[in-house]
Amino acid sequence: MITKDFTYHAPTGLDGVVSVLAEAAGDAVVLGGGTMLIPDMTHGRTRADVVVDLSRAGLSGIAPGDGEVVVGATTTYADVLADDRAPALVPLLRVMAGGVTGGPQIRNKGTVGGSASYANPSSEVPACLVALGARMRLASASGTREVEALDFFTGAFATARRPDEVLAALVLPALTGTSVGYTKLKHAESSWPIATAACVPGPDGALRVALGAVAATPLLVTVDRPDAGVADPAWRAHVREVVDAAVTEPWSDVLADGEYRRRVAPVAAARSIARALETGGEEETP
Amino acid sequence: MTAVTSADVVVTGPAIGSSARKEGGDTLLTGRGRFVDDYTLPGMRYAAVVRSEVPHARILRVDVREAEQSPGVALVLTGESAAAHAGPIPHFIDPAARGGRYTDVRCLAVGKVVYAGQPVAAVVADTRRQAEAAAELVRVEYEPLPHVLDGDDALAADAPLLYEEWPDNVVLHNHYGTGDVDAALESADLVISDTIRIARSTTAPIEPRGYLASWDRLDETLTVYGSLQNPHQLRWMVANSLGLDETAIHVITARVGGSFGLKMQGHPEETLVCLLSKLTGAPVKWIEDRREAFMAGAREQVHRFTVGAMRDGRIVGIRDQIVANTGAVSAQAGWAMPNMSATTLASGYTVPNVQAELHVVVTNKPPLNAARGFGKDSAHFVMERVVDLVARGLGLDPAEVRRTNFIPAGQFPYRTATGLNIDSGDFPGLLDKALAALDYDALRKRQADLRTEGRHLGVGLAFELTPESADGPGSFVSGFDVTTVRMTMTGKVTVYTGVTTPGGGNDTGIAQIVSDELGVPMSWITVVQGDTERCPGGFGNFSGRGMVTGGGSAALAARDVRAKIATVGARMLAVPVDEVEVAHGYVRAVGDGRTVPIPEVAAAVVTRAFAIANEVEPVLEATRAYKPGNIDHVPDERGRIQPYPTYSSCLHAAVVEVDAETGQTKLLDFVMVHDCGTIINPALVEGQAYGAIVMGIGAGLTERLVHDAQGRLASDRFKSYLLPRAGDLPTIRLEHQVTPSPFTMYGNKGAGEAGVGGAQAAVANAIEDALAPFGVTVREVPLPPPAVLALIDEARTK
Repeated sequence: MITKDFTYHAPTGLDGVVSVLAEAAGDAVVLGGGTMLIPDMTHGRTRADVVVDLSRAGLSGIAPGDGEVVVGATTTYADVLADDRAPALVPLLRVMAGGVTGGPQIRNKGTVGGSASYANPSSEVPACLVALGARMRLASASGTREVEALDFFTGAFATARRPDEVLAALVLPALTGTSVGYTKLKHAESSWPIATAACVPGPDGALRVALGAVAATPLLVTVDRPDAGVADPAWRAHVREVVDAAVTEPWSDVLADGEYRRRVAPVAAARSIARALETGGEEETP
Repeated sequence: MTAVTSADVVVTGPAIGSSARKEGGDTLLTGRGRFVDDYTLPGMRYAAVVRSEVPHARILRVDVREAEQSPGVALVLTGESAAAHAGPIPHFIDPAARGGRYTDVRCLAVGKVVYAGQPVAAVVADTRRQAEAAAELVRVEYEPLPHVLDGDDALAADAPLLYEEWPDNVVLHNHYGTGDVDAALESADLVISDTIRIARSTTAPIEPRGYLASWDRLDETLTVYGSLQNPHQLRWMVANSLGLDETAIHVITARVGGSFGLKMQGHPEETLVCLLSKLTGAPVKWIEDRREAFMAGAREQVHRFTVGAMRDGRIVGIRDQIVANTGAVSAQAGWAMPNMSATTLASGYTVPNVQAELHVVVTNKPPLNAARGFGKDSAHFVMERVVDLVARGLGLDPAEVRRTNFIPAGQFPYRTATGLNIDSGDFPGLLDKALAALDYDALRKRQADLRTEGRHLGVGLAFELTPESADGPGSFVSGFDVTTVRMTMTGKVTVYTGVTTPGGGNDTGIAQIVSDELGVPMSWITVVQGDTERCPGGFGNFSGRGMVTGGGSAALAARDVRAKIATVGARMLAVPVDEVEVAHGYVRAVGDGRTVPIPEVAAAVVTRAFAIANEVEPVLEATRAYKPGNIDHVPDERGRIQPYPTYSSCLHAAVVEVDAETGQTKLLDFVMVHDCGTIINPALVEGQAYGAIVMGIGAGLTERLVHDAQGRLASDRFKSYLLPRAGDLPTIRLEHQVTPSPFTMYGNKGAGEAGVGGAQAAVANAIEDALAPFGVTVREVPLPPPAVLALIDEARTK
């Protein structure tokens, strides 16, 4: 039960959302799909005077633009999976959404923007956005600004979003590389991700890999191409070296300690690269 | 004379042995099942429980002033005030009566708390939200005491004492078994000593616990609705703790959404909710939330064992020192489970020398609660690990070491070294069927091929012997039960039985038995369970007893009613009674095939009691108790008693592939060959077996209750306590073997409990087998990926 009384707003546009946030002066929480916020409020971990529900604010949808794709903050995993253009426009998000656990209930309610804003280290969206070089579009009563994904995630459950701001959209640069690769390691179907790796090769062929769930924030590494194949022990050792250097403070929770995450992060990285290079990645189910 | 018809008799096969549809299955599927939270009474209020946030402390002060002023609050109750109105909760199984130690268990803590999560106060309010909001306002001031969470640590001389009237933290210390283990180990070709840790897991039924109590101020009676396993015992318990007459209490069992032992009585909230209703004069409902449900531990043991075997694989002796961490003492039966771990130790193997020493210790963790397997699961886990270690140590195939040590099929009943008298079985037969289902030799070949590619396929076998339908002398763990069969004058039949169903379907099985024994279609039969005013005094469900005792007593009662129907029907057909048969709703003259419908016979018994029915006492109702054989409470020359009539058995085989880079285990195949004797309803037995297997797989791979250093539960949701989901599982393959028990009504044995320990062991053995190239040894469960990777590391650094 949510024992604390609160005021509920469901504005019908972004203007309404930002004006409520401005008035609430930091006492508001933003409700996306509610898959995290509602349990947190039920268990008393989050207590707020004002709840701003985005469901009527018109912030959903995938819109291709000039050299970029704009993904509305309240676009659900199910929206991504149902969109015929997704394999071409947002292949990485599509692969990720297909592996979100919790079944239709979670996929129908959970939103890409909500997951990014919650910034749970043991989640998938943040690292995917970092891998894609996304810009986070933040709106407030005083205007709109964009923050690079890598700068947006500032710590565990912490972002660069100010209390008077709402994450309105994710702006993804159009993909220039050939394909993406994604790997998720987890203990069981029901488990939080333990380590994720998203490989988005750049136009120059550089292999950029964003690691998720292994540290408080996503880690971005660049590794050499596996000229002798992805099974080459020397290349594997190189991946391990690069990833080890990045994972300075591994994330630890009740499912897996930091040492385990440090051990498997390079494995996830190498596998995501293998998928990007060998399978085209798009149809890969993590 | 009533008209005798010769209508076509619709003949179908016997109901027993068929996969009859589950009673009320349509109701459940369409969302109309009435669970405890679906009951609403006029003026009903809601309770919330304030729980300790510290593991061990004296309670200095409980400040309820702010909570009492909170909106909608009717009552805030502290431990001190509860103790003025309610006595200690009687134990389901009193440790003192088993040679252990007693301590008072109260519905709310008095003086001190002994675990984080222990109820310290309760709030009653108009709504659940108001109750929970007020509960947050209760301020408890504690003086912290040193605490202990680990079982071994609790045995240390300087360990903090949970119960200050005890000299140590041991609730039960006992020795089990016979034979000269020292001599056996001396003579053995192979001796292995090792330690196995079984981590704390839980049962997590889909429906948590819940109670609704309604005190009637005018006639001073109490009605209790609950999600329960043992309504009659609960009535006795509440009568004791509240000082009421048992006849003033009416317990009604709602439909139960799974239980697995959790809903056996002894929980503090049972007495508490009844007391809150009595004190407020209103119906009070309390429904456990999921975080509360996760506190219930199912098992937690450490085994330090030594086993000796001969070169041919024969195991000649086992010594096992068991430390079982039961958490804080509860009035529930959970503390007694490790007793069965020790008793079941040598399982279905002919090990002549077995010595087990058991310490059941208390710690500042929440209490263990009875859980499917009831300790037998841990015995199987350890024993099946031991057999694999012996096979490995001798370079023998683990299947053949099992075969070598199995009790031969012709040697039943067989008395084990710990005193169990196994009624029947064919254990080598189970093994043969399992190996054939696996295509074992081909599988070993495939394993060898994959190893050359650097892939790690593993096969794990595990045998499981499940003593069922227990009788504990002097306790409410009863080996018999009682059923009333009542036929109305329209021929419809209501069966009132003392056994209850946790959702597994023994109501359907009992209806099948009554259908065959009484000769009426299933559709005429209604089974009533769990209502202390309607059902005869019985004992509910535990220990796989539902079909043995409920089915047996239903058969006896149905036969009594049938005899009267046959007598009167024969009179109506004008033939001798031994020339009629009663089946499918008709009494039929065997000679010429004429029939009379049972409803007409039933009507005649009632309306023509002084004419046609003169030969029978005109009541179409019988109440009978059924006591299966093979229970023997007269201690033998070694002081052993024999509390189980039947012993189901099964053989599990798991096939896994382990990813040596990540430690992830993929379960590729799972086979269980199951022998519960005569099967009353295959579909229901299989449904229970699937559930038990998955429970064991979960406890083997990913399920672990984690407490932080302050004893607070860290794994309190399904994202941090990982139950297997469909995607984690292969299609489980079940095969049956039927070895009837000579000691039960139909040769049926307990079913529904078997599967946990065997599945847990099979996956663990399979992981060890998969990683044999690294030389790993499994010493703990569960085995989530970090644990598997740690095994590989440990083997590599050796």
